[in-house]
Order: sequence, then structure tokens, then C-alpha cells
Amino acid sequence: MISQALILLGDYLLFFNQIIQRAQKSWGQREEICEKALQVIKESLLTTVFAGFFVGAIMTLQFTMQVQMFDAMSYLGALVTSATVREVGPLLIAFLLSGKIGAFTSAELGTMKVSEQIDAIRCLGADPLKEVILPRFLGIIIASFFLLSFGLLFSFLGGVLMASSFSGLPWEQYLTHIPTIVSRFSVISGGVKCLIFSTVIATICTYRGYQVLGGAREVGEGVVQAATQTMIALVLADWVSSFILEGIANA
Amino acid sequence: MLKVSFLQVVWLSLSSLFTHGLRFKELIRQIDNLAYRSLNIVVVCVSFAAAVTILEASYHMKLVLHNDSLVPGFASMLIVRELAVVVMALLLAAKIGAGIAAEVGQMKISEQVDALKLLGINPYNYLVLPRLVACLFGGALLSLISNAVCLITAVLVTMNSLDQSLAFFMTAFRRFVLFQDLIFSVFKGMVFCAVIPLVSCYYGLICEPGANGVGRATTKSVVSSSIAIIVLDFLLTLTFSFFY
Repeated sequence: MISQALILLGDYLLFFNQIIQRAQKSWGQREEICEKALQVIKESLLTTVFAGFFVGAIMTLQFTMQVQMFDAMSYLGALVTSATVREVGPLLIAFLLSGKIGAFTSAELGTMKVSEQIDAIRCLGADPLKEVILPRFLGIIIASFFLLSFGLLFSFLGGVLMASSFSGLPWEQYLTHIPTIVSRFSVISGGVKCLIFSTVIATICTYRGYQVLGGAREVGEGVVQAATQTMIALVLADWVSSFILEGIANA
Repeated sequence: MLKVSFLQVVWLSLSSLFTHGLRFKELIRQIDNLAYRSLNIVVVCVSFAAAVTILEASYHMKLVLHNDSLVPGFASMLIVRELAVVVMALLLAAKIGAGIAAEVGQMKISEQVDALKLLGINPYNYLVLPRLVACLFGGALLSLISNAVCLITAVLVTMNSLDQSLAFFMTAFRRFVLFQDLIFSVFKGMVFCAVIPLVSCYYGLICEPGANGVGRATTKSVVSSSIAIIVLDFLLTLTFSFFY
């Protein structure tokens, strides 16, 4: 099982490398990339906003019960915002996005593969990785980075609303201590995590779609594999990036 | 088969328990397929999530309280109340949900669901109910396991990177975590896991023809069940907060 996982990791890294090599010369495809990014944003914006809002509200609820024990209600907003921006927000929203974008993209690419459209592109003398995969890959990265940041913004809003309605903490007090606890580094590390997560989502779902062989049944299997592997990869990437960012913060 | 609504799917499958009974062979097969085969993924992911939680909690404690002696208490509370079950449920929503929707959708577009009806078999009783019961049962067991794995990882991480002893962790754990936390956690796990097969079977049963239709049904089922889990989590947490 471990050797299988290592082989899989190697496949992903090789695929990632191939795409990055082509990405250096992708300026000519900028219109297509923006189009893909807009398409992804349009389809997933509502989901992300919804998810972000509820993540913020849940975090506020949970922290209210804990903070009340220490009579530290004035720190509620700061703690919730810090925890959401650094950790919980990016991870949970990326989970939802991986279901939405990942399944959609791998199903689309898988269908193109099994209906031999990708082979047709190769027959025409064009490079399918450059023509089909690269715009989607970069589009997904741009779009999910934007969506994750937007989701975090809404989680903040959810936290404020929940605090003022459920915890009875006026929003001015919710905001007071945020600057003392949420440092510039926290926001940057949240952004770095968003970027890492969006790269993970983009790599795995395009690779899974591109690797489908066979028929409609295999497309379904590819979608399921894309969804599960993205989730596992997200949790692992979260741990690794936390570890590295912690190291940078302490240095 | 005519178009059905989500509530109809729920009602028809639950009522078929009383009119047609439960198919035990199918139930055992689904428990193996849905619960047992998700075990290793849940264990791996949840343990990493717990490790991150401890590291993050220690970061915040150092900022606010300037020491991290309260980390074990708060982290174990967060794990039992929220993290273990929600991360598990979101993972299962992707793994099980996509699988069920693809399977049922494939059956629907290749007219196997209609064939079941012709043979006099109630499709809700045959397809939905065993999956629902298997997920309820598996959800309870998996949330217990996920809580245990989370706590074990948390203990190992606090011992290694925060230099706190096991006894210290256990004392904090017993002060902060109540028995009702565990019961609420298992209840949450069962509710989340019951949502997944219902939503996925619904999207599979209304699947449009063609490979595209199956793909779309899968996507929709994963997204809707994840959102349903987050919203239900909010509602259940709000309800439980009145019991403390």
C-alpha cells in the first residue's frame, strides 16, 4: 500500500513537472485561461460563499462555549478570525471546492479522453497537454485561489453575524482585538495555504481525468478517485504546510 | 420512472422498511462496501487533521495566554465536539457519495432500475434502504473510531512537540470533555452519514441519460451532501449548545 502511494505521488509530480514546463510559455493562451477561470468561478461562487459563511458561524459557536469558561469574550472575534484564516477556513472550503471543481473537471476530461477527442488533438499535430490541460490547470488555480479568499471573507462575515446574534457580543467588540492576535504573517500563511490547496486540486483532478481509459464506467471511477485522492492530498498538504510555515514563523 | 422529489425518496425508502422489510444480505454487503472500505482513509486523514489542530492550538495559546498548558484540554474538546466527526463526514461525502451516485446513476440510465420494478422489486427498498441503514451503522462506528484515532494522535503530538506528559493530557481531557460530548459526537456522525446516501441516491435516481448525466449527478451529490453536512453541523451545534 505504501509503495502504491509512493508510485502515485511520483506520477503526480511528473505530471506537475510536465505542466509547469509548458506553463512558462503560456502567455499566448491567456484569453483561454481567463475564460476557464471565469467559468469555474461562475459555477462555484455560490457554493463557496455559502460554505464560508457557515464555517465562520460554526467556529464562532464552538469558540463561544469555550471562551465563556474563561470570561474572555472580548477575545472571541480575534480567536475565531485567527483560527479560521490560518487553518479551518482554507481546509474546509478547499474540501468543498475539491468536490465541486474536481468532480466536474475530471468528468469533463475523462469524457474527452474516452470519446477519443484527446487523441484527435494529438493526430492534428497539437500537444493535448498544452491545448487542453494547461488552460484548465491554470484556470482552476486562479479561480480557486480567488474563491478561497472570497470564502474566507464570508466566513468573517458569518462569524460577526453569529457573534452579535447568538453570543450577544456587539460587532465593535468582536473587531477590537483582531489586530492584536491576527498578525500579518497569519494572513500571509492563510494565503499561502490557499495557493497550495488550489494547486493540489488542479493537479489531481486534471491528472485523474487525463488518465481515464475505457468507457463511461471508467469515467465514473475516475471521478470518485479524483474526489477521494484530492481530499487525502489536501489533509496531507495542510499538515506539511502548517509544519513548514511554523518553522518559518519561529525562525 | 417518474421524477421524484428528495422528500419522496426519503419517505418511500423509510416506509418500505415496514412494507418490504430489510434485505440483510444487501445490508451486509453495503456495510462492507461503504463503511469498512472507508476505514483506512478516515484513519489516515483524521490523524493528520488532529496533528495540525494541536500545532495550531499551541500557536494560539502562546499568543493569548503566553503558555500552552491548556492545549490538551481545548484541543481534545475541539476534537471530540467538532473536528473528528466533521472531517470524517466530509471525507465520506466525497468517497461514498460519489460512489453511490455513480453506481445508482449508471443503473438508472442503463434502465436497470426500471428492470427492478418490472421484477416486482421496490427500488427504494433494494437500493436506498440498505445503503441508508449501512451508513447509519457505519457512521456510528466510524465516528467512535475517528474520535479515538484523533485523540491518540493528539496525545502523541503533545508528548513529542509540546513536551507534555500523558498523565497531564489525560487529566486535562477528563476535566474538559464530558461524556455527553461523545454521545453528541456519535449522534452527529450518524446524522451526517445518513444524509450522504439519501442525497446521493436521490441524484442517482433522477440522473439524466448519458455519461454526462452520470458525471453531473456525481458532482451534484458530492456538493449537496457536503453543504448539507455543514448546515446540519451548524444546526446541531446550536441545538446541543442548549444542553450544556
